[in-house]
Order: sequence, then C-alpha cells, then structure tokens
Amino acid sequence: MDIVRDVLDKQVVDRHSVRMGRVDGIVAELRPGRPPEVIAIEIGSMAIARRVGERTARWVARLAARIGGARRAEPYRIAWSRIRLMDVDIEVDIDMNDTPIDDWQRWLREHVIERLPRWLQ
Amino acid sequence: MLRHGCLQTEPDGMKKIFEICLGVVTSVGGFLEMGSLSTAAQGGAAFRLQLVWPIVVGTLCIIFLTEMAGRFAAVSQHTIAAGIRDRFGIKFFLLPFVAVLIVNTLVLSAEIGGVSVALEMATGLKHPWWALPVALLAWFTLWRGTFGLIEKGVSLLGLVTLSFVAAAVTLKPDWHQVAAGVLPSVPHHDPANYWFIVVSILGASITPSLFLFYSSGAVEDHWDAGYLGANRAIATLGMAFGGCISVAVLVAAAYVFPAHGITHVDDYHQLPLLLVAVFGFWGFVLFVASLAFACFGAILQIALEQAYLVAQGFGWNWGENRKPRDDPGFCLVYTCALAISAIPIAAGVDPLKLTVFSMALTAVSLPLTVVPFLVLMNDERYVGRHGNGVISNTVVVAIIVLAFVLAIVALPLQVLGGA
Repeated sequence: MDIVRDVLDKQVVDRHSVRMGRVDGIVAELRPGRPPEVIAIEIGSMAIARRVGERTARWVARLAARIGGARRAEPYRIAWSRIRLMDVDIEVDIDMNDTPIDDWQRWLREHVIERLPRWLQ
Repeated sequence: MLRHGCLQTEPDGMKKIFEICLGVVTSVGGFLEMGSLSTAAQGGAAFRLQLVWPIVVGTLCIIFLTEMAGRFAAVSQHTIAAGIRDRFGIKFFLLPFVAVLIVNTLVLSAEIGGVSVALEMATGLKHPWWALPVALLAWFTLWRGTFGLIEKGVSLLGLVTLSFVAAAVTLKPDWHQVAAGVLPSVPHHDPANYWFIVVSILGASITPSLFLFYSSGAVEDHWDAGYLGANRAIATLGMAFGGCISVAVLVAAAYVFPAHGITHVDDYHQLPLLLVAVFGFWGFVLFVASLAFACFGAILQIALEQAYLVAQGFGWNWGENRKPRDDPGFCLVYTCALAISAIPIAAGVDPLKLTVFSMALTAVSLPLTVVPFLVLMNDERYVGRHGNGVISNTVVVAIIVLAFVLAIVALPLQVLGGA
C-alpha cells in the first residue's frame, strides 16, 4: 500500500456511514532500528494547516486556541487499528457523535437551527 | 444551469428514453443565464453574426466537460471536487478551491443582479432594493426544497427562454450568414472589444460551477456505469440545444440592436428590446420572465455548488435532499454565499458590468479546474477503462488554452481601453 496515495486525503466515514472528514494527516511512530510504524490518521483544520505551511499552522493554532481552548489546537486522531475498510471511502469503527469533530455543527444545530421558527426547521 | 436527469433506478427501455428526454429538457431550460444572455447580446450588437463561433466553441467544450463529469462520477463514485482533493492532496486542492469560490461569488452576484433587474423592469423599484429579497427567496427555496424540485421546477420555468429562439426565427435571419459566423474570423473594427467579447462569451459558456455541479448531482442520484449512455445523450443534446438559445440571442441582437442604432450594449435597460422589437408588449413580459427564471435557476445552482465544493473538499456531509438540521455546515455555506453575493448588487454595482467582468475572469480561472480534472479523467485508478480518448483530451485542452490566452491578452486591453 502507498500510504500517501491510498490513505491521505481520502474521505473518512464512521460506522454508520456518516461522513466525518478527510484524512488530513497521518501519524507515524519512529522506532530505533526498525521501520517507522503508522499509528493513526488525523482529521481537522490543524492537520490541514500543518500541511500547507509552518506559518499557516502557527496562525491557525493561535486562532483555534482562542476559539476553543487548548484542546482545539491539536487535530483529532483516530488509531490505525480502528480502520475497518478501505474502498472509495475509509470506514472507521467509531461513532462521530462520540468525537469532538462535529462539535461546531452541533453548536449550529442547537443554537441556530433549533431556535428558528418551527416552519423553518 | 441545473443538472439534468434524476436517473434513480436501473434504467430500461422506455423509462430510460423518458429520463433522457427529461434530462435534455431540464438542461435546455436551465442553459441561459445572465452571463450567456448579456455576452451574446453584446456580441450581436457590436459584431452582428460574426461572433457565432465563440458560442459554438464554448458549447462544444462544455458538452465534453459535462459528459466527462457524469462519466467520472458514475464510474469512480467521486465528485470532481472530491476527486481533485483525493488525487492531488490538500495543498494543491486549495488553488482550484479558492479560484472557484471567488469566481462563483462574482457570478452569483451577477445572477442576483439579473433577477433584481427583471424585478426592477416589472415594478419600477430600483434593482439594488431587490438584491436582498431575491437572495432571501433563493435561500428559502434551498432551505426547504429538495434536489428534484429545484432541478426540475426551475428548469421547466426556464423553458420560457425559448422565446429568444422564437424571436430569432421571426426575424428571418440570413441563415447563410449565421452559418458563416460559425467559422472564426478576425474583426474589421474595434479589435480590443472584439476579443474581449470572445473571451466573455467563452467564459459564459464554459462555467466551472456547471460541470462541478453536474458531478455532484450524478453522485447524489447514485449513477453507476449503467448510466454512461444516458449521460452522453443528456450532456450532448442538452448542452447543444442550450447553445442554440445563446445563438438565438446573438442573432436577435444582431438584427434588432443595429437597426435601432445601438452597437454597444452597455446598459441593461437596452436588453428587453431584444424581444420587444419582435413581440411588442408581450415581448417585454417574456423578457422579464426569461431573465427572472433563468437567473433564479442559476442562483440556486451556484449557491448549492459553493456548499458542495466546501463540503466535498473537507469531507463533510452534503446533500440537498437532507434536512438543514442534519447538515448545518452545508447549509451555513450556501447561506453565507447568498448573503455575501447579494452585497455588491445591494450596494449599487452595475449588474451588466459585473456580469461581463465575471465571465472574463471565469475564462482566466478555467485551467485551474479543468487541468486537474483532465488528469483524473486519464487516471485508471479513478475511471478504469472508461478514461478519456485522444479526441476529448485534445478538444478540451485546445479550447481551454484558447480561452486562457485570449483572456490574458484581452483583459488588460479592455481595462486600458475602458480607462
């Protein structure tokens, strides 16, 4: 398998086929004397910013920390062992509702959409 | 233009033919919008039948691109935006992503301007006042509507644009001259203006949002390799007949405007004359309806395409058949897109100038979307044995290069000439 060609930037879906995001980063562990091992995939704007460039990464990290606190300054990681299937999409054995990935959409739903008049919901 | 043909079940015989017809009808009804209407009208007024060829060349290119978009989605199960991110990575993806977002924002403004101008003509209230209500109505339609309703409903209303064909035929044009205009020619006067109009006609015909949208629709409707034949028929017939409406606008403009002493269409108030000169008062009604429906369809399509682009590029959930509470992020994008694009019109920017400028800018931006898309269409990992042939690759590359080079040359000339 070519990890960059076949994994990076692919669509990630959870165990209910809900789209979670794309593989924005790949985490490998360097092991002395042995080949590096891929341990996780990353999703989130922080991982994207790191790939775009160092300055963008610093800028996005500051912005994310200001909006969501320190935990927002790191991308969300999914352990490699959670990957169930790789086809057109990559399916992971996770429920998106249990992750912080969807927090901002949940916020929109609770604070904006559910406060609209009933006929607009 | 809206996407064509919701082919939901396994197509067979009569059903398939019916679906193809419906697909063609909806794409014809959705073809004309503010860009193609304004640029064809300007071309006809200034250079009469000499400028049929950029419409033909542009339409040929969009036929190839939409056919590819449908084929790509049916075979790979990817939309084009998703495919570009997938194949080239995020860093490259951001280039076409930002370019399309900017161009779409301007074109969306132009279309909001188109509906606002139609409402100004109908009511007398100046068009800046209409920008926000129009954007709000479009937002409401997207918020409550489903893909099928938007696609079929608006495109069927758009069939009123066939009145331009009726006008062109009624004017009894010299068909030999129309045919002669199909061959590219050099201008006898005003070359800077000539090439600028060529560029904006090409930009108006080859709209990236159109083939990006088409691939989203094909994925949304679960197309598979069984739809390749239907896709080819819908793309070819729909776009070709649609191109005929643009040619009809140009022919009508070529006969009507010079006869009334107009060679430069630089004020949108001149446009209704296209139909008024032929059909009188009813021509005015038909023009207002054509402009309103055609541009409203384009507003819905481009606003949706902005949301598709962001959602697909970043892997969010997307789909026009889902309720807003299921996809708040998707809905947020089209809501913002409509709000932002309404601003220039509400602030009083001239809709016609904005339209022509956006069309030329579209032509400049084309390589950024079309080149990576062509790479995908030749990559076996995505399209298997359904990859592009030599002809489709050559035609599209040649036309895109032509549009890009002309745009790079003509835009500065026009800006200098205008100043």
